[in-house]
Amino acid sequence: MRKHAVEGVRVVDFSWIVAGPTCTRILADFGAEVIRVENEQTMDYTRNSMAPPGSDSPNMGGLFNNLNRNKLGVTLNVMHPSGMELLHDLISVSDIVVENFSATVLKRWGLDYEAQRKIRPDIIYVSMSGFGHTGRDNRYVTWGPTAQALSGLTYMSGLPGEDPAGWGFSYMDHTGGFYGALACMNALHHRNRTGEGQWIDLSQVEVGMALTGPAILDRTVNGRSFRREGNPPGNRAPNYKVAPHNTYRCRGEDRWCVITIFNDEEWRSFVKTIGAPEWTSDERFATNEGRYDNQDELDRLIETWTAEREPHEVLHKLQAVGVAAGAVQTPKEKIEDDPQLRHREFLPKVEHPELGVTEYEGQPMRLSRSPWELRRSSPLFGEHSQKVFGELLGIPEEQITDLMVEGAI
Amino acid sequence: MNNTQGALTDLTVLDLCDEKGQYMGKLMGEMGARVVKIEPPGGGPARDIRPFRNDVQDPNQSLHFWAFNTAKEGVTLDLEQPEGQEILKKLVENADVLLESFDPGYLDSLGLGYSALSAVNPELVMTSLTGFGQDGPYRDYKTSDLVAMAMGGVMHSCGYDDLPGAPPIRPSGGHGYIISCNYATIGTLMALNWRDMTGEGQHVDASIHEACSCTTEAAMPTYIYTKELVKRQTGRHHGVQPTPKTLCPTSDGRYINVFAVFTSLDQWLTLVRWMDEAGMAEDLTDPHYRDMAAMRLRAGPEVDHAFVVVKKFIAAHTAEEIYRGAQGRKFPWAIVRSPDETLDDAHFAEDRGFFAEVEHPELGETYTYVGRPYIMNGTPWRTFRSPLVGEHNDSVYGEDLGMSPDEIERLRANGVI
Repeated sequence: MRKHAVEGVRVVDFSWIVAGPTCTRILADFGAEVIRVENEQTMDYTRNSMAPPGSDSPNMGGLFNNLNRNKLGVTLNVMHPSGMELLHDLISVSDIVVENFSATVLKRWGLDYEAQRKIRPDIIYVSMSGFGHTGRDNRYVTWGPTAQALSGLTYMSGLPGEDPAGWGFSYMDHTGGFYGALACMNALHHRNRTGEGQWIDLSQVEVGMALTGPAILDRTVNGRSFRREGNPPGNRAPNYKVAPHNTYRCRGEDRWCVITIFNDEEWRSFVKTIGAPEWTSDERFATNEGRYDNQDELDRLIETWTAEREPHEVLHKLQAVGVAAGAVQTPKEKIEDDPQLRHREFLPKVEHPELGVTEYEGQPMRLSRSPWELRRSSPLFGEHSQKVFGELLGIPEEQITDLMVEGAI
Repeated sequence: MNNTQGALTDLTVLDLCDEKGQYMGKLMGEMGARVVKIEPPGGGPARDIRPFRNDVQDPNQSLHFWAFNTAKEGVTLDLEQPEGQEILKKLVENADVLLESFDPGYLDSLGLGYSALSAVNPELVMTSLTGFGQDGPYRDYKTSDLVAMAMGGVMHSCGYDDLPGAPPIRPSGGHGYIISCNYATIGTLMALNWRDMTGEGQHVDASIHEACSCTTEAAMPTYIYTKELVKRQTGRHHGVQPTPKTLCPTSDGRYINVFAVFTSLDQWLTLVRWMDEAGMAEDLTDPHYRDMAAMRLRAGPEVDHAFVVVKKFIAAHTAEEIYRGAQGRKFPWAIVRSPDETLDDAHFAEDRGFFAEVEHPELGETYTYVGRPYIMNGTPWRTFRSPLVGEHNDSVYGEDLGMSPDEIERLRANGVI
């Protein structure tokens, strides 16, 4: 019986590092049969990043395992004629092809969209490159941080007057992956209705640009650039005239909480909860306007209260009275000490042959009838070559062995 | 295939969301779905978000609202009045999707929760996006973009390592909600695919806390597999071990993000040749550095020194000169642009036609908006401006529900719409 939302959808996955694998992780978690096509010469370096010292196993990368669970893995050498033939056979029985190479790679392989269509007329092909496949700069190269910087997102993060703090990770790899998956789902919906496939040309820089809507309008409507004094806005509310709204130091080394108060009623609840110290009766703080105009001083005074407390005490005390407050949580706290994530079973475990039993990040959307599921850990390098080429493509075992010997698999 | 309509053109979506969830409806509307935004009479609170056109606060002129509510029609409806509740149920009868971001339990308390609405329309896909999910000890906790980015751990990874006392930083732009809407929209389409296969609707329960919690790249696996915590570093990746600063100031007051200097031997030799042509390679032509580059060394005194020399070279040029020069040599270097500076980039603005011209007939103006996040070559993307408050009351209640003008007027007078 059918169990998963995209069960029966087969994906040929050439993707690597973070962006593409994020896209296919979503598809795999909801039941698609995702087949990672890999190669020894250009191995995904996340396969052994985070491996224990001295390990040269391609199967011990923690980031890789987290991103590639629920997928199958085969090896294939596209430079070998028999390898290319196998790839054609694989595409002919698949629904979606995903890759996040530079713009010219698949074309060089003779596998652009038109070529893929000849093999499989209703194929959905998602190319995830930095600059897109068309346009004068389509040969430019990106990593996640490149796309973040060019699209404006790096600049939007930081304290005013300081260097940009940017994003501490490849946010555009995540977001590129989300939009890759979203595009796949749009295309599947269209194909369910019409039988037609299509090619999706995704540029990671454009994905970032698409998230800057209000800043673009401020320029095109009001003639005001985001590059101006006071920007980026630190942790204050850039879109509301409200205060307090900031990070505050807590007890302990590098411990922080956030407090965001949007109206006078929440302010009064806050004051009562912190025991109404004398400074809170200062009339400048009685109205939202006054708090906003005097927020440097307000923030300093609030910190005298938070500095005596741990972040989670601030979280629970203020949330109990309806104030949106939070702890700046560490990965350790999310994994070991977040009762909400635990209640929601957000970090399920499964065994990996070399890494043992570990937690995996979940999917943040629960579907009542066709939920995502952690079915297996990430594929060992080449683990499913026999299964995929033998069972799926019907190639006899001895021939698979020959293909391995001649370097096609 | 020359489809004139988008991939989701057969769908009708009801959008009851506030600021948290409004991006979902835009993503679906721009793919062709008919999206009807339902707000309380007078308009929802998302219309109060800055900036405003000409800085004048007006519910129809919030640029933030404009940006996240394109490609929607808009009606007003008071869900707290029994008549409003009946009208919503009538709309649900003919809808495919309902998107909402109320506090958990609120719609249930009005008799409009998933169980009630799925009784009206069993094929309905209903997506609920909330701060922490529909159940659990934090289910009634309030969220905000800052709370979401703190609790989910994004902020643990973002900030400064060379600014004593600096707090963790929340990248601005509303990304806690954007990340969540991206996930929740994918979940909605997953549910629609299930419906295509089985005919069944379902409820999608999406959590902002969880969406942020799985959007921190290596932070979680680093702890799971090594029990170490990554640390924040100015303008670059978090790391367990410190790495050199990659922000390099230019002669025109910008920054170039260099990412890494020793990425491969070939790239290193190309870089040194480029600097040498300008007479600025200093001692980097020394073969000693070749070996470091061949080893792709990421940290240490040689890397630090190489960065110092590279920074001097960059500081003597404009951002545009370095960006084009570097990319012409296949280095993934970038200008740290202000978002609006992308408007002047011909590759995106001209060749790929990224930006969209959107008409505002009510103002007699046309404005440039951000465009599509991807090009779907078989099914077009479209956009049009966000709805004015209650703009489509007459057409939705009159034409779709068959109400007479008198009836609509009575609802208006009673504050139901």
